[in-house]
Amino acid sequence: MAEAREKATVTLEIPIGPQHPALHEPILLRVFADGEEVIDVEVVTGYNHRGIEKLCESNSYYRDLFLVSRTCGICNTIHADVYTRALEQILGREPSQRARYLRVLALELERIHSHLLLAATIAEIVGFDTLFMLIMRDRELVMKAKEILTGCRVHADYYMPGGVRRDIDEVKRSRLLEILNKLEPRVHKYITLFEEDPTINSRLLEVGVIKPVDAVKHGLLGPIVRGSGIDYDIRKLEPYDAYDEIPFNVIVEKGCDSFSRMMVRWRETVESIEMCRYVLTHLPQGEAVVDEKRLPRAFPKGAAFTRGEAPRGELTYYVESAGGPNPYRVKIRTPSLNNLINSRFVYVGLSVADVPVTFASFDPCISCMERIVVIDRRRQVKKIVSFRDLALRRVRV
Amino acid sequence: MRIAGEVLRNLFRKPATIQYPKQQTQIEPDARGRHFADLKKCIGCSLCAMDCPSKAIVMKKLPEDKKPPQNRRGLYPVINYLNCIYCYRCVTICPVKAYVTSSEYRLATESKVLTSEELSLSTLSR
Repeated sequence: MAEAREKATVTLEIPIGPQHPALHEPILLRVFADGEEVIDVEVVTGYNHRGIEKLCESNSYYRDLFLVSRTCGICNTIHADVYTRALEQILGREPSQRARYLRVLALELERIHSHLLLAATIAEIVGFDTLFMLIMRDRELVMKAKEILTGCRVHADYYMPGGVRRDIDEVKRSRLLEILNKLEPRVHKYITLFEEDPTINSRLLEVGVIKPVDAVKHGLLGPIVRGSGIDYDIRKLEPYDAYDEIPFNVIVEKGCDSFSRMMVRWRETVESIEMCRYVLTHLPQGEAVVDEKRLPRAFPKGAAFTRGEAPRGELTYYVESAGGPNPYRVKIRTPSLNNLINSRFVYVGLSVADVPVTFASFDPCISCMERIVVIDRRRQVKKIVSFRDLALRRVRV
Repeated sequence: MRIAGEVLRNLFRKPATIQYPKQQTQIEPDARGRHFADLKKCIGCSLCAMDCPSKAIVMKKLPEDKKPPQNRRGLYPVINYLNCIYCYRCVTICPVKAYVTSSEYRLATESKVLTSEELSLSTLSR
């Protein structure tokens, strides 16, 4: 890429971000262009590093549960879910059948609202502000559903090793079903709008094309890889919670462009509504809420690696326990990290105006991905720091 | 023509937004809102302060004249609402279920400190 930049004549260098009206989160795209044509893009990250993994080591397992769910606001339940499953593996506990179904319900509601949020953002960047308002209005229905289920619109704090933290009764169940029934026709209306509207089509169709081979080569995940025609969904490959019992289809589109990525998300939204409905109508009887007072404080020695399908792709957690109340190591790999850092090749050949839309079609989540430490590149200093020194805070990074 | 129909319909439709604060937002009665310890039940065990993920709970000494019989340690939890993340870990971990919960979310204040001290102490005089 850098050679391409040297060969071609770069007449423009445009910084998009870290604060930019089109990108809602802090990331810098340094766009090198020859006139209107993009030659290269440098993705510069590091504006939102909070050191969550390090904090996890100095807090107890249960405090970490609330901390890891704050890695990302939009996809907080999947973070908590994957971390909780890792703890369950170490403890050797299994959640009840009803708890597993309720977990799926929370995850799918989150997927719906995350996809609706991105659709609204795309509409706004494309220049269709009315659609942004309409989708955000209907997203409120899902937020209400999350509030009914978990007790909070955004941060669910719904997961606990061995089960969930609150149950639903018959009244809540019927209210959730009512909300889903109200939402579904509206989603179908927006899908038709996305398919037919000339503004959206001309901004998204055949823009930001990712060939299937490139998607695999660069390790892209989630709706991006599915939008390039590759069937890769952790919910089907390695079913967790109750995904093995709930019927659903993996949505794959073969268009490979920004439009097909959006279509994957829209069709997944419809699929998720169906799944929520299935969960609510087939909810098993039994106990779902775990008594938190009876959970063990100290964990046995062991390690667990778990993964799940977040709205943006595969999310993985590695939790290592050396015994005692605090974890020895918590490693989080979020899908946005793969999707954004490796997205550089997509922008080449686009016009400058298409860069924000293409970037947004990756569903960027900066707060999710930034837990890596950026080491001083300006001074060209390479220093190997042992993990022990890092843990004992002997070095400053 | 489709647009004309949409425009006409929107003319007579209620707005999607509400006039807050004149009109209140509908909140679930069991949503996680402001909570405080009922000192008639609290035993001062400090579990909530130890488990609070955002370190928002501090254990304070009870006034000498107001010590309830069950609270031998003479401590009670004070929640700093500005630090609190409303995860309700303190509520679920409490061995005597001493926490009083509500769905109160309007916590805007002019003061720099907003704690549960007064609310908790008022439970003693009830």
